[in-house]
This record gives sequence, C-alpha cells and structure tokens, in this order.
Amino acid sequence: MDRIVNDFQLNIATANGTGSQSANLILLNTMFDMGVPVSGKNLFPSNISGLPTWYIVRVSDNGYQAPADRTHIQILMNKATWDEDIENCLAGTVIIHNTDVKMAVERDDCTVIGVPMTKIARGLNPKLARMIANMVYVGVLAEVLGLDDAILNTAVSQQFGGKAKAIELNVEALALGRSFVADNIDISDIPFRIEAREKDANEFLVEGNEAVALGAHYGGVGLLSWYPITPSSSLAEAIIEYIPDLRTDDNDDTMCAVVQAEDELAAAGMVIGGGWAGIRAMTATSGPGISLMSEFIGLAYFAEIPGVIWDVNRTGPSTGLPTRTQQGDLSMLYEASHGDTQHPVLIPGSMEECFEFGWRAFDVAERLQTVVFGFSDLDLGMNNWACKGFEYPEQPMDRGKVIHSQEQLDAIENYGRYRDVDGDGIPYRTLPGSGLDPILYRGTGHDEDGVYSEKPEIYHGLMQRLKHKMDSARTWLPQPLMRLEEEQEVGIIYFGSMENSIQEIDDILETEIGRKVSQCRVRALPLSPAVEDFIRDHETVIVLEINRDGQLYGIMRRELPNELIPKVHSAAYSDGMPPRARHYAELIKDVLQEVNQ
Amino acid sequence: MSIKLNVIDLPKSDYQGGASTLCPGCGHDQISNVIINSAWENGLRPENIAKMSGIGCSSKTPAYFLSQSHGFNTVHGRMPAVTTGAAMGNKDLTFLAVSGDGDSASIGIGQFIHAVRRNLDMVYVLENNGVYGLTKGQYSATAVKGSKKKKGPINETQPIDLCKLAINLGCTFVARSFSGSKKQLSALMKAAMSHKGFALLDIISPCVTFNNNDESLRSYTYVKDNDVELHAYDYIPTQSPIEAAAAPEGEYHDITLFDGSTLRLETIGSDHDPTDPVAALSALHIAEQEDKHVTGLLYFDPTKATATEDQHLVDTPLAEIPDDIMRPSAASLDEINARFRGKA
Repeated sequence: MDRIVNDFQLNIATANGTGSQSANLILLNTMFDMGVPVSGKNLFPSNISGLPTWYIVRVSDNGYQAPADRTHIQILMNKATWDEDIENCLAGTVIIHNTDVKMAVERDDCTVIGVPMTKIARGLNPKLARMIANMVYVGVLAEVLGLDDAILNTAVSQQFGGKAKAIELNVEALALGRSFVADNIDISDIPFRIEAREKDANEFLVEGNEAVALGAHYGGVGLLSWYPITPSSSLAEAIIEYIPDLRTDDNDDTMCAVVQAEDELAAAGMVIGGGWAGIRAMTATSGPGISLMSEFIGLAYFAEIPGVIWDVNRTGPSTGLPTRTQQGDLSMLYEASHGDTQHPVLIPGSMEECFEFGWRAFDVAERLQTVVFGFSDLDLGMNNWACKGFEYPEQPMDRGKVIHSQEQLDAIENYGRYRDVDGDGIPYRTLPGSGLDPILYRGTGHDEDGVYSEKPEIYHGLMQRLKHKMDSARTWLPQPLMRLEEEQEVGIIYFGSMENSIQEIDDILETEIGRKVSQCRVRALPLSPAVEDFIRDHETVIVLEINRDGQLYGIMRRELPNELIPKVHSAAYSDGMPPRARHYAELIKDVLQEVNQ
Repeated sequence: MSIKLNVIDLPKSDYQGGASTLCPGCGHDQISNVIINSAWENGLRPENIAKMSGIGCSSKTPAYFLSQSHGFNTVHGRMPAVTTGAAMGNKDLTFLAVSGDGDSASIGIGQFIHAVRRNLDMVYVLENNGVYGLTKGQYSATAVKGSKKKKGPINETQPIDLCKLAINLGCTFVARSFSGSKKQLSALMKAAMSHKGFALLDIISPCVTFNNNDESLRSYTYVKDNDVELHAYDYIPTQSPIEAAAAPEGEYHDITLFDGSTLRLETIGSDHDPTDPVAALSALHIAEQEDKHVTGLLYFDPTKATATEDQHLVDTPLAEIPDDIMRPSAASLDEINARFRGKA
C-alpha cells in the first residue's frame, strides 16, 4: 500500500494531570530531533487534574504547523471523552486505545488497535501505572510510525533531566509498548510513517513565553512585578528561573527584583514606579489583567513613564475560555485607558521575534517614555515551536533621553520636563535621586515644565505632542515583513501567531483557486507607512485575525486614507482554537467571491 | 544675621514647596509644615527624597513641600504600588508618602495592606479627615459612626481603624497624632523618617469645609440667602487652623472641631510598651469605647527586614548600574543556545 510519510496528524486524548504532558513532549521532541517538521499543541482545560486534555501533533514535510482538517491517528486514553473522540474520527483513522479503560470501539471504517496499556504499565510499577501507561502509547506509536530508538531514548533522558530511575522505567515502558505491537499487531496496512530528514543542527523547540523571558533578561529587566494568570504565568516564572544564572553577582545578590503583586493593578503600578525611578520594569499578564491595569496605563501615557507589559492573549471576554487562544486584546492594548491614548504594541510571530521583542520592548519604552505592550497569545506562548537560535542584541541599550548631569541639563536650551526641544515629540527627563530639575509627576494636566495646568491651549498642545511622538515611531518600530507576488492582485495582512498557518493558507489558495497572494505580516502598532503602501499596491486586501470583530481591520479603517478603505476586507474568526488554515482559506475565498476577484 | 542651617548646611528654605491651594485653615497644611521642619531638622538631603501620593486633598500636598525633591502624584489608592516599584529601582531613596483616608481605607486598602505586609521602607503619612474632600464631602471609611454631614443621612457604618489594621498586619511603626498637635506630631514625624521599614503616621486632620456643622451651616445659609447664584458647596468658610495644646503623657485634651463637636485626644502613657502589639491594640480599643483617640507611638519593631532587603539586591541601586552589567554577556546567550541545541 501507499505510505503516507511525514504528512498526518495525531490526536492524543488523555485526562489532565496524568503525566501525559511528559509523554507527549517526548514524542514531539523525538520527531523533531529526527529532523521532521512537527508542531505540538496542548489543548488543556482550566483545571489541575481530571478534566480532558488533547495533544495534537501535526507532522508535515511542508512545514505546516496549524492543526489539520482531520486527525489521522487517534489515541484514546480518556473514558470521559471516549465516545466523543471516536465520533470525531473520520473514516480511515487509526484508533489506538487503551483496552484497560474497558470501553468499546466500534468502528468498522477505521483501523482499531487495542493495547492493554495500564496492565503493561502495572507490570513495571503498580503505583505509577497510570502515568507509565502514557509512555506505553508512545512506545506503540514508535513501533507503528518507525521512530528512531536511540533518539527516542535521548528524548526520555532529557525530559527526565538525568534522573536515572525515571529514565529506566520510562525506557522500559517504551520497549514494552513497541514489543506489544511487534508481537501482536500487523501494521502493514497502516500507511502512516515517520522518516528522518536532515535536521538543522541549530534548530530547537522552545515555548514563546520562555523566549520572551530570555529576551527580557537580555534587555536588562530590573523589576518583574506580576500576578499569576494563565497563559502568562510561565513567562514570569521563566524570568525568575533564569535569574540565578544570568542576573546575580558573585555574592548571589540580584540585579532583577521580583515582586508577586497583590493584583494586576499593583503589578502595573510597580512597573510604572520602576520606570519612573530609572530601571527597566515589566509585567506579564493576559486580557483580564490588562483590563485592571488600564488606569495605570493611562497615567504612564500622560506622565510619560516607560514600562513594558506583555499580554499573552487568551480567549475573552471576561474569564472567557482561560486555556484557549485568541487575538482578542489587540484594540484594547492599542488604546488602553480612558481619554485619548495610544500605545506601541510589538507583535512577534516567531520564537526568534519573541526573544528579540523581549529586549527591544524596553528600548522602545525608554525611547518613547511610555508603556509598550508585547502581544503574544496562548498558542505562541505555551506551545513548543521551532527556533533557529536567539541573537544577541547588536546595539547597546537605547535608554532614551535621560539627563544624568548638570552639564547635560545646562546644554539644553529652555529645558522643561515636557518641552519638545528636539521636534520629535520626545522630551528629556531626569531621575529621582539626581536632584536635577525635580518635578512632581502627575496624572493631572500639566504644562511643559510639569506644573499643574488646566489651560485649554496647554492641554491641547500636550495631547498633540503625544500624538506626534507616537506617530514618529511608525517608521522605526519593527516594520512589517512582506512576501510580494508579481500579480499584486490580492494582499493578505496578518500578525502574530497566524504566522504558523499562513504557508498552508497560501498553498490552499494556490492549489484550489489558482491564486497567488502577497503577504504582509504586521509586527507593530502604530502601523508602519509600509502597510499603507502594501494596500495601495494591491487590488484587494484581506486582514486575517483570530478574533470575532476584525480588530486590526478596525484600526486600519480609522487610520487609512478614505480612498483605500473600500479595498480592505476582514477575515476574522475565533473559536478558542489555534487558527486552522482551512477556515481562513474559506473566508478569503468568500471575500474574493464577493468582490468578484 | 546669618541664616540658620541644618546639620548638612542647608537652610530651611531648601525644604519648602509651592503655595497651598487647600481650603484656608486646612489641617493638612499644618502637616506639610511639620514635614518641612522635620526633614530639615533630620538633615535629609532633598534630592534623596521621593515624595509619593495618591489622589485627594492630602495627595495634593507634596506640591507644597520639598520642591527640590522628585515627586509622583499617582492614581487614587495606588501610590503604594508605584512606591514599591520605585523602591526596587532605587532602594537608597527616602520615600515620603502622603495619603488620605479615601486612598488608604477604601479604594487602595489592598495596596496599603500589602505595602505593610512587605515592610516597604517608607513614611506613610495618612491625613485622616473622615471625608472625601475633593468630591465635596462624602463619608470615607474612617468616618465615625453617627457623624452627620451637611447634607444626607447620618453615617451608620462603623469605621475602619488603619492603626489597628496595621498593627495586626505586623507594621513596624504605627503612630497616631493630630494635625494641630505640632510638638507631638513633629517628634513622631522625625521618628518615622528615621525608621527603617513601613512607618504609618495616622494623623487626624479635620476638614474645615465638609465636616460641617450648625455654625458653618448658618454661615452657608447666610451666604445662600444673600446670593442665590452660589453653588451649594462653593462657599468655603475661612477658618483658623485648630491648635491643640500638647496633652501630657497619659492625659487627655479636648479639642473643639470646626463643627463645634469635641475631639478628645489622649496621649498614650509612658508606661505603654510600644513593642507590645497587644497593649497597643488594647489601648486603641479602649479609646474607641470611651470615644477618645489615643495618640503617640503605638507600636514599633525595628528588627524586620524591609521589602528591598528581602530581594537581596546588589549594593548599588539598580537604576545606577551600567547597561553593560544589566545586560548579560553574549557568551551567556551562546551557552543558552547551546543548551537548547543539546550541545551543552
């Protein structure tokens, strides 16, 4: 029969807290280390133990990383979702189930493989049988798919950090899973196989949250204040984890303070206090936290205090789907707080960019003297993605316009804390403790010297300068990345974690409707003029987003010249799941049909 | 005649601020004067002080003292968080914070509690008047049960006593005073400024305008009758600040407030042991039962580590560390990359 090599999707249905995460990561790492392009997505509940969890592994020589249209191999471990999982299987699916769950699998149209996983595991260690059973399914898959034994064992050893007993136990479980298949099951009819590819020796898997955390350290973060919230907690925890290695001196004294705040309001306040005192301070949160921080964000905007806030977006509104993904916070970030505000938002789409924007966000914040958002999401932040390595910042830190001496102060003609002496909208500042031209910072109206004022012309002038300051950043914030087609008929604009679906969307459009589309990945707000040029150059432009309302599209409608607006269309969709290429390809087709393109 | 200098050779004028815009006679201005005097007498360097405040009448006052110090008039009730962040950035600054009862007992009570819990090294001056002055006279959470404002019903809700709360939270310096008791207040202010850790100075500072009363009501009625255009609350009676003679230790002193009512202040006795939190709480409870306010240093514990000490920060304030030290080396990133690649 025809083999299907490196082009299928696995779905592993387990219960939360049973140790399946380790087994799944071992599976993912093994394939990755065999040089096979693979992505893993953990669909987990808001729960510590017991509720259903699915792990989706997409294997694709094309490099597709989004969940596929269908599952090809279904692992059944969880009684609670058993029937539902079976019902979701399309004809031809290979169903591998734990017979010790003692649930029926009645599907004549699928290949059904039963393995007494718990019994096998119990033979190794009765107490840990439930956890070890997960390694048995990895062993079964290893045999069915043809995974490399040595690489698999290395992955086990890495997963358990050299703990000899755990490694031995799990390696044995793998072997038993393998031999059960070899002894009892004819796999010649199963088409799915993994074949090793040449691996890029520089590439590794990492979660977006860890990449941002490392970036923050290389940005010299001096204060992390945070309040735990899924899916951002692992970002803060990764910062804490790297402090002993990266941020302590010979006496084990630290250069990075960490305060677990009483709430997100306090976390934001501490960031602003730190920025005011002259350090690089940050927090990490998700949408509900941003809602709470909004008052302080307005203060930072108006009083011009630098700070960095990472939003790892989860599905809102309200508590929403706290363990699912979305790009639903974008417009809130851009305009957080009351009155007229506008905040720079850096939007990474890869692990390399998560690291880079992790440090760069501080440069932007200090240069602009304002709060800068990093915008990630649960998909990017909490799943493993391929990374070619982290690049050390080429330039020294950009600390912005800070005056450190009386001579520097004297050299500025007509200094005032809020006076735009350079014409770029960015004033100079002095730090507390310096004794240099001190002011009482305030969130109330103030003149160019920082003195309280309610005068109409002073307020108006201040607000215009702040707008000018933000506009001046459009050309030097991270610029959009373009892939231009010669035809320049259809242009796709997208951002963030959609990067992981875009190639597949592109291929579907080319295969199914013969359209080659240009692409523009937005990497920062406020938008670069290059985005406007991209729109100008294309006949129809479609903005892809993982939200209901088309938030970036909305921002564009407000900021673009009127004549360009009719060209721009929204393809927004959100159901809590990572973006699936098929959904967006269909939405794009619908738009093209509507405009008769 | 030579100008009088303090221990670091600075004149008192170096500690002064802008003109007050509070109501004439406001007790808060007396507190500002005590702050100026105390900082001068303690020989604090103005540039090393950071003035912090929230929102409200009290929080406006940092504009009226220490104009050579940086300050931050933040948002309502959230000054402790900003101070926490600033302290992490520069632990060598002296944080002198002014807050009100709206800030500290209502909207920001959580931040107040957590700053105490962390023993953040700061002077926390609570200018406590029982009303929201800037929004024109609503009761605050420290308003005494049964008190009656100009308009609206009697306050039926029991008050929050932040001194009691602070003692229970393990606050390392808890004192209560009165804005008119200049001598006692000055002594406590100077002690608070010298304290390492969170120093709460709860100062009863009656509102001249909204702690209203028959007498000013009459004045108000009088003005209203004579000028129908006048907005109901636009009339601010000009008052002289309340002055109180210091009560000897263990004795009390009655003060007539702007509304004609009496405030009985009792100075805590010399036999009070300020290291005994139970005795301090007991004194506060007994005073409450007897409709008195006990003043003086109620509780003191100089032994606890501060919020910044708990961090084990390097000696140099973080804000003064060179960028190339704050940014880890390129070699360290090479190592991290190698570790991820399984080659280290």
